Amino acid sequence: MATELLMPKLGLTMTEGTIDEWKKKVGDSVQKGEILYSVATDKLTNDVEAEEDGVLLKIVVPEGETVPCKTLVGWLGAPGEAVPDGSVPAAASAPAAEAPAAAAPAAAAAAPVREAGAYVPATPYAKKLAKEKGFDLGQVPATGYKGVVVARDVLGFTPAAAAPAAPAVKASPLAAKVAADLGIDLSMVNAHGRVLAQDILAYLESSREKVADEPAREEVKPMSGMRKAIAKNMLASVQTSPTVTFNLGIDMSEMKRYREQLKAKEIKVSYTDLLVKFVAKALTEFPLLNCSVEDNKIIYKHYVNMGVAVALDNGLLVPNIQDADKKSLTEISAEVKELAKLAREGKLPPEKLRGGTFTITNLGMYGIESFTPIINQPEVAILGVNTMEDKVVVRNGEMVIRPIMNLSLTADHRVVDGSVAAQFLQRVKSLMENPALMLA
Amino acid sequence: MCTIRCFEESVKRDFLNGEIPGFVHLYIGEEAIGTGICAALRDTDLIESTHRGHGHCIAKGADVNKMMAEIFGKKDGLCHGKGGSMHIADFSVGMLGANGVVGGGYNLATGAALANKMVLKNDTVSVVFFGDGASNRGTFHEAANVAAAWKLPVVFVNEMNCWASTTPYRTTTAVENISDRAKGYNMPGVIVDGQNVFEVYQAAVEAVARARRGEGPTFIEAKTYRIEGHFVGDPEHYRSKEETMEIFHRTDPLKLFKSQCPEGVVFEQEELDGILSAAREKIAKAKEYAVSCEYPDPSEYLTDVYAE
Amino acid sequence: MRKITFSEATREAMAEEMEKYPECFVMGEDIARQGGIFGQFKDLPKQFPGRVIDTPISETFIVGGGVGAALAGARPVVDMHFADFIGVCMDEVFNQMAKVRYMFGGQAKIPLVLRAPDGLAGGGAAQHSQSVESWFIHIPGIKVVAPSNPYDAKMVLKAAIECDDPVLYFENKVLYKETGEVPEKADEVPYQIGKARVEREGKDVTIVSYSIGMKNARAAADLLAKDGIEAEVVDLITLSPWDKETVINSVKKTHRLCLVSECVKQGGALAEVAAVVAEEALEYLDAPILRYGAPFTPIPFAPTLEKMYRVYPEDLVKGIKGVL
Repeated sequence: MATELLMPKLGLTMTEGTIDEWKKKVGDSVQKGEILYSVATDKLTNDVEAEEDGVLLKIVVPEGETVPCKTLVGWLGAPGEAVPDGSVPAAASAPAAEAPAAAAPAAAAAAPVREAGAYVPATPYAKKLAKEKGFDLGQVPATGYKGVVVARDVLGFTPAAAAPAAPAVKASPLAAKVAADLGIDLSMVNAHGRVLAQDILAYLESSREKVADEPAREEVKPMSGMRKAIAKNMLASVQTSPTVTFNLGIDMSEMKRYREQLKAKEIKVSYTDLLVKFVAKALTEFPLLNCSVEDNKIIYKHYVNMGVAVALDNGLLVPNIQDADKKSLTEISAEVKELAKLAREGKLPPEKLRGGTFTITNLGMYGIESFTPIINQPEVAILGVNTMEDKVVVRNGEMVIRPIMNLSLTADHRVVDGSVAAQFLQRVKSLMENPALMLA
Repeated sequence: MCTIRCFEESVKRDFLNGEIPGFVHLYIGEEAIGTGICAALRDTDLIESTHRGHGHCIAKGADVNKMMAEIFGKKDGLCHGKGGSMHIADFSVGMLGANGVVGGGYNLATGAALANKMVLKNDTVSVVFFGDGASNRGTFHEAANVAAAWKLPVVFVNEMNCWASTTPYRTTTAVENISDRAKGYNMPGVIVDGQNVFEVYQAAVEAVARARRGEGPTFIEAKTYRIEGHFVGDPEHYRSKEETMEIFHRTDPLKLFKSQCPEGVVFEQEELDGILSAAREKIAKAKEYAVSCEYPDPSEYLTDVYAE
Repeated sequence: MRKITFSEATREAMAEEMEKYPECFVMGEDIARQGGIFGQFKDLPKQFPGRVIDTPISETFIVGGGVGAALAGARPVVDMHFADFIGVCMDEVFNQMAKVRYMFGGQAKIPLVLRAPDGLAGGGAAQHSQSVESWFIHIPGIKVVAPSNPYDAKMVLKAAIECDDPVLYFENKVLYKETGEVPEKADEVPYQIGKARVEREGKDVTIVSYSIGMKNARAAADLLAKDGIEAEVVDLITLSPWDKETVINSVKKTHRLCLVSECVKQGGALAEVAAVVAEEALEYLDAPILRYGAPFTPIPFAPTLEKMYRVYPEDLVKGIKGVL
């Protein structure tokens, strides 16, 4: 019996999903575990695997369409099997027992074209028959289980050579020889009446010109599911939040020392890890930067789920460290590493992408000195981290060189006024310049 | 006894020279038991032997040429080269086979006794030989119980040679005498000196007569000692060679034979020496025969799996 | 034609053979006074006094004694009560019964039948329901048979008793009660051990089974027929040595092979059939070989669990349709 393919519910909060891409065409055979299609949610794109072997019989929801979870999106089943709405996919044959041989030609038209030299899955008996008949198995359309070439396919197959010949192209003997030597199909050559050798040379010239054409100057490619999600979320964010960005330089001397001390004790942490820890502490003191807004109501969060933006080859994800304010630096460090790894491998569980209360985004490694990050909704602030550079600063009336790092805080002015944002940033600065305050 | 001794000595030599494949287990020092027991049997009586079975086989009357050929793996061997030392048999003399599985013979002997007594209605007697090690197999219990319950014509002959392979019997066995167990099956348990062929024979005559009368099984425990290693080539790290040799010289049944002869039976030493040298000659010929025989044709490996 | 049960058929076979061979006798647990736990020995003790013997609960003696009796010249039949208990006397089966002829160079003849009631019987659970035939097809020197209907039950048992080799006769506990046509003695056709039978002809798929598995094979063939699919059903009857020729000829005709048995699928008796067909007739296969058998678990007790252990005809139908 054909199996329903339903829009999956990927996590507790997912209510609907968009078919981002069908990875299989109708009539393609699919093995258990192969990816059937990808689903985009507002957070990320997930691949959906086939639960059993079969053939994709029908696509009900096309690419780009959004449907609620548990909606029927397609059908998987045996080749030729009818789906419950009564339709029989064109690519499949009628049940074998009834008229196996007669069914094959019908299938031929829709048979997937195989790449030359590709392995042709065929049953041993089909191979034996093809060998006896001198057929190239690669030319035989498959209607068997899992898209395998079976005996009836071979028995019902008419090879191209034996098909009614196309009207013969008239050519001079020399033209025929030249065409044969150069491997040119005579029917492709323009000629007035009989094809002459010169016509073939002209054809060769014109085909070279085509090769020499410049590459296309533009190219249209559909957005990937993740790209679409990012585009949608970023646009929604700027449309939702009136933002102000605040920049403040931090003297990282103490942080550097602190990090060296930890290193000496075999505890290796990154500046991002340190920022997560220190900013989380500051957030517990500034609840307005750790809230969200809904219908004229402010929802204060008595926990800090610190989002850390992770850049990927094709986009960006923001997994968060839950209860970052209650975790030790080593716990945070381990978790940041693990989340980044999972994100890059595409294995991030959806729940790690939900429930963030604040985000840190670090572009320091690219030498950026200042930027205006966009808030990760429904949060109300995001901290951009910039490069750390030795700068000449004045301390006690003297010029000294200190490692300075700029922080760029973007805050939602609906709830975070300038003074609040500034005090928060001040507090982060003082904690980082005096790590001992963490204990206070 | 002399034939057995010479046979075993010859086998030992040839095994160590690499002429005999597989493993061999020698009966040297225990010859009086097989000899005494089999002397009390008819040709039609049946014996179940053990992996240490050359002595039983010879005592039951098997042709030593064909035995030797079998041990050499030749096609003219008793089993056409398919059995070897541990699986030697000569059905023509009622020797139903050595058994490579320790304790594998009890049920076969008892089943044969059952068939003879209850189905085929004859007075054939079965004998099963087994060591003290084999006496700890559960199969002993099942066979002994059935044999006693149905008064089957079986004689259980325990060759109490003190060693189960490398393990001294005292470390694994609670009873002082293996034959103490006979009581548990309501069958007579007799202890004899396994180095005295006359004593063994006497016990066998009584047990066999009792079996034939339909009175059931007897357990004969023949006290002996395993002089050789468990198998030829056994380094015997588990015991003292000196002690073994001391026991051998003190209890060698061939040496003691003359002194054990019952009253009125007198052998001159020359006569005994003559028997021994005749045996030696017989075995030398057996070896010559075995060496001269062909190995089985390789195609023979497929035959004898089934009768039909 | 007269109809009798499987159990009666085996009893008739015993009686006829014991009549024919005075050296034939039978021993086992609870067979004389009780008549066998499935009634398969009922009335035989009256007919053959002294030749139907109740043994103690001593499986190593039952089998080892049977081997000894055969060596002495008798034609014993021994009964294993439940096939599960063969494990108790495995040495007697595979080191004695199976080996004595070969290792003694053909001196011995072992006309011994070991009868073993097997299979799920509803709540027998892990130690009273097993189908253990596959253990024995791995042992050269013994023959293994497992009939699927009363007529075969009788003819196969007679052939087993007459055979001069040791034969393991697996008789399914559920089949005992089933009735079937069995001709009068004069019209019987003797069974030749090692022969399979094409029970139903078809062109689309070959279903091979034996013993109770044949019920699934037959039912699946009926269901497939409703959809116009013609299954050829082969009853193997003898599992060792099995009838390669009949199976391969059928596969050459249908190009598809489906195997079904009640025993555990992994390493099951029919795995050998699958392997040999793949070795010797691969080029005739137009579909993967399908195998149906029990899951890799001991047999559970509760009815809801035992149900999961069984194979159903619908399983075969689904699988076969999937490869047509």
